[in-house]
Amino acid sequence: MNVSMIASLTLAVACATSAAAAPMFRGDAAHSGVSTGKAPHAFHRVKWQFPTGARIVSSPVMQDGVVWFGSDDGNIYAVDAGTGRQLWAHQTGGPVAATPAIANGLLYVGSGDGKFYALNAKTGATKWKFATAGERHFEAPGIHGLQPKAQMIPDSYDVYGSSPVVAGGSVFFGSGDHNIYALDAVSGELRWKFATGDVVHASPALADGVVYAGSWDSYFYAIDAASGKEKWRFHGGEDALVHNQVGFQSSPAIADGIVYTGCRDSNLYAIDAATGKEKWHVNNNGSWVISSPAVVNGNVYFATSDSSLYQVVDALTGKPVLQQVDKSFIFSSPVVAGDIVLLGITNGSLQARDRTSGNVLWEFQTEGSKQNPGWVLTADRHLNNSLLFRTRSYEATVVAATRLQGVGAIFSTPLVGDGVVYVGSTDGNLYAIE
Amino acid sequence: MRRIVVLASGLALALSGHAADIAGRWQGSAQIPGLPLQLTVDLDRDASGNWVGSIIIPELAMKGQPLMDIAAHDAAVAFAIKGALVEAKAEPAKFEAQLDSDATMHGRFTQAGNSAPFTLKRIGPAQVDLPPRSTAVAKELEGQWVGEYELMGYPRHVTVTFTNHEGAPASVEFVIVGKKHNDLPVDFVNQSEGIVRIESHEIGINFEGRLRPGSSELAGTYEQGPIELPLVLHRPNGSGQ
Repeated sequence: MNVSMIASLTLAVACATSAAAAPMFRGDAAHSGVSTGKAPHAFHRVKWQFPTGARIVSSPVMQDGVVWFGSDDGNIYAVDAGTGRQLWAHQTGGPVAATPAIANGLLYVGSGDGKFYALNAKTGATKWKFATAGERHFEAPGIHGLQPKAQMIPDSYDVYGSSPVVAGGSVFFGSGDHNIYALDAVSGELRWKFATGDVVHASPALADGVVYAGSWDSYFYAIDAASGKEKWRFHGGEDALVHNQVGFQSSPAIADGIVYTGCRDSNLYAIDAATGKEKWHVNNNGSWVISSPAVVNGNVYFATSDSSLYQVVDALTGKPVLQQVDKSFIFSSPVVAGDIVLLGITNGSLQARDRTSGNVLWEFQTEGSKQNPGWVLTADRHLNNSLLFRTRSYEATVVAATRLQGVGAIFSTPLVGDGVVYVGSTDGNLYAIE
Repeated sequence: MRRIVVLASGLALALSGHAADIAGRWQGSAQIPGLPLQLTVDLDRDASGNWVGSIIIPELAMKGQPLMDIAAHDAAVAFAIKGALVEAKAEPAKFEAQLDSDATMHGRFTQAGNSAPFTLKRIGPAQVDLPPRSTAVAKELEGQWVGEYELMGYPRHVTVTFTNHEGAPASVEFVIVGKKHNDLPVDFVNQSEGIVRIESHEIGINFEGRLRPGSSELAGTYEQGPIELPLVLHRPNGSGQ
């Protein structure tokens, strides 16, 4: 790519960022995970809650007083941020587990129906649709040690769709068909597609004219945004035995020439953005890093699944700054808003932590979490693993995943507006909390 | 012999004072919100007069799980589930009840700090599922065996030592050395039809193997949770034991 094209892409990203509070997943094209919004220092009340027809794992985005998000009921919703009133809903043919991106008056998002949509952000009217080769979950024989061992089993924890990033007149996203796509943001025409070896449900990030995204094929890729040519690839861990410790589900963040990404091989990696060489990694002893890191002021904020750790490490060295044990798996990504870090937990709570000490300042708990149907949680709100995961049959895992929904698990990443936090829950509600 | 057992049982009953007779098969339910559990509880006395029991809960894929801490004093009944529905170092899942009559009891089921009411009705004689017992091993298995397997790219060295004891089950030392030295607590060893099985319930690691005919190899499978790997044990340095 020539210098002017890089400059044009960078400028486009900068313009898109400054024009909106949080127009795409992780706030900006580099996925910093930093919010310009002001987070409340105490929980006062649920300002409103917006019910949908199924679980919400999509994360909300916001611009000019409108909040957009997807639901597994197949709809993309636009809601008035002040009142919680529905502005429009657009029905797709499958669950919308990705987070929309807003740019130039259009909303972009993929659906479980295998189509990628561009809608008028104000009205929900279809601008164009692009058909991928079809969505699918990551799957493997006897995945996670489940039975039947020889059968291809879809991964119940492959919950997210790839969220698009928009820059330089293109929209970039990954797909269950193994490809990373670049489409013309105005017309929906294919500019290029890049084939990986497996499902791409991580969300691409973009910096300096390079698209960065991980695949479930165990590789993390850097791709020239203009041409679609591979610049480098980084190899994460593999797991030929039970296919548990493999794949990039976490979405990358880029800061100061370093790409930070979690991986199911239980590492958080820092990779040189120019060369693809590893700078450091933090190993989490078998616990997935699905949460996407946030990077600000020389620190990286991330969380782990099974070990339920909230962690802060030095961005240059990976040395620990802060580590706190939470109560349940963490898939949601931390959002840094001033001196507060917000984080969703699968036990149905949203936490606001002091950025310096890591202490929980306040916590919101969904109704499902309070009622605890099926004793999914222990009395002190840890995940009740010994009751929830009793056998290794595939069917039992599906039942466990369904029961987990009942406590209003928070997979969605919070969005911080002016004194209000918006987040989706598997109980089907989008909550506005102040 | 039968007379001695009966006398011993009578003595145990007498020592417990007002012990209630709760022997039998009991059926009912626990009212966990959103997940009512069907319960089948079998309680009986063993030859020594001690209570033994097991439980069936289909909703939790549980059949024949052993019970422990079984007590019946006056109208108060209590028992707990052994080895399931509990995290390490936590309180076991417990049932505490009152006998309403000879044939019904009601109380609270507590697990992981959560509590729900339950009721049970006696429907017939007990059918307790007794867990398999450890046994002695064949003489040719006694002594030390070594082997190696690889997990996640790292070699692990295994040493298994069988020791028989007069009139008692064999004991086993089960050591795995990888990044760390792990001396696994073995709580079950059984040899039947030529197959020997070692289980460490606490760690979740098992080995099952068979002596290869005409060789000094104990060939089998290492099991760690969902992972199964072939593991062949042999005598150290080709020694006889």
